[in-house]
Amino acid sequence: MQQEKKSAELEERARETFSVERREDYAVLVIATIVVLLVLLGIIDKKIISALYVLKY
Amino acid sequence: MSVGIDLTDVRQWPKMFWGFIVCLLLAWIVLQYDNYVVGDLHRGYREASKVLKDVKEGKPIKTYEEYVNEKKEAYKKALQKYEAGLEKKKPSKPFILKKNDYEYIVQNKDIPGKFVFGERMHQFQFTYVAVLLLGGMLIRNTIGVPKFLQPGTVAARPFIKPGIIILGAYYMWSDVLRVGLIGLILVVIFVMGTAIAISIWGRKAKADDGLMGLMSAGVGICGVSAAVAVAPVVNAKPRDFFYAIGTILLFGTVALFTFPYIGKFLDMPQPVYGAWVGTAILNTAQLVAAATWYGHEALLTANVVNIVRIGFIPIVVLWCIYYYVVRPARQAGEAGASVNTIQVIKEKFPVFILGFFAMVTLNEIGVFAGEIKDLLGRDIVKIFMAIGFAGVGLNIAFEDLRKAGGTAFVIGIVAATVKAVLAALFVMAIGPGPFTIKQ
Repeated sequence: MQQEKKSAELEERARETFSVERREDYAVLVIATIVVLLVLLGIIDKKIISALYVLKY
Repeated sequence: MSVGIDLTDVRQWPKMFWGFIVCLLLAWIVLQYDNYVVGDLHRGYREASKVLKDVKEGKPIKTYEEYVNEKKEAYKKALQKYEAGLEKKKPSKPFILKKNDYEYIVQNKDIPGKFVFGERMHQFQFTYVAVLLLGGMLIRNTIGVPKFLQPGTVAARPFIKPGIIILGAYYMWSDVLRVGLIGLILVVIFVMGTAIAISIWGRKAKADDGLMGLMSAGVGICGVSAAVAVAPVVNAKPRDFFYAIGTILLFGTVALFTFPYIGKFLDMPQPVYGAWVGTAILNTAQLVAAATWYGHEALLTANVVNIVRIGFIPIVVLWCIYYYVVRPARQAGEAGASVNTIQVIKEKFPVFILGFFAMVTLNEIGVFAGEIKDLLGRDIVKIFMAIGFAGVGLNIAFEDLRKAGGTAFVIGIVAATVKAVLAALFVMAIGPGPFTIKQ
């Protein structure tokens, strides 16, 4: 009984620790998807990226 | 992600805002340096060297206009050949020197200092990766990062992950499977091997189970993330936790700044180096930084090996649960001690790597052609990486590294170093062929 309680407690603590990373993973998936879509739609193109660099030869 | 900072929690965004803006600005400024010094000026050095060679060999000196016309004509011809299908690779635009630089070379028979500077920075691999990491570390440990900026700098670190996903636009499944299969062998031998060896060594040395569980996961597979995941499972004491984290960070930091130079010293081809750091460096951010520092090809290989490696986090957590919780309970005669394998895998699997696989699939079916592939796989990846590296650099605090100590330090450093040396020998023996990603 005590062993089961301890296992459940440990599992709960591990779950909490990883839930932030899991949410972060979903967030980066969303960010990456948006960027790829913007590139495929032509909204982000070479010109925009090139404009980010003001220091050029 | 550090405990207490949750990128997805909208209520925390205001406190992350300013620190994140600082990382964006830092990344932007350093990318200007990278583009101009390591890019343009380095290319300028090569072009200047060609002009100087002609001058020194006594070839007839062209006027500036003749020089420009000749370059443009050569490019036009190369482009026509490409368009006629005679050349497979599209020629890149020629680097044309500015009039004053061209005349300086011709008159002084010397290369302008700015080009020499660009060449040296390129030679010493002092790219945006090095500047952001070293600069960030310097700022953090000298003038310091004000407390109100710290949450934002921590939140910038995961921006390496979209970079890893988008880099998938460069791969074909055949490459991922080939490199991934060898990566799997590397991970099983070196990563799982380290995790198991540390557990057994710790038991034999009668070291604390909590501490050894942390070191086994942390040094074996994935640095801080794995140690954080395993800490509650193995019931680690707070002091052990800080010892372990300190040791892992110390090794990772030393590896990050030394491996690119060790690789150069050993003359490692880029794919071999990528496989090496993918196996030997413990943390995704540090590994990606060390690989990017070395070159794009190194990054392509390291990324696949890293994806295989972090896919093993649930397996290492399962090992720790078995070795430190289930096994002792069974030995003590406690019935019912078991582990829910499916649940652990579901909870610990790093889902963002599914995005990488989706990108590879899209590339395989031809969604990313020509310029789009370069735009995604080079330009945009670079921007995400730069933001992430700004966060990583600003979070390398010597006070955290000083927390390394005790038995964890000895076992961690010895195990990580042995793993790195053996992995280097192994990948060098295999050679670049199997690790090369075709671009």
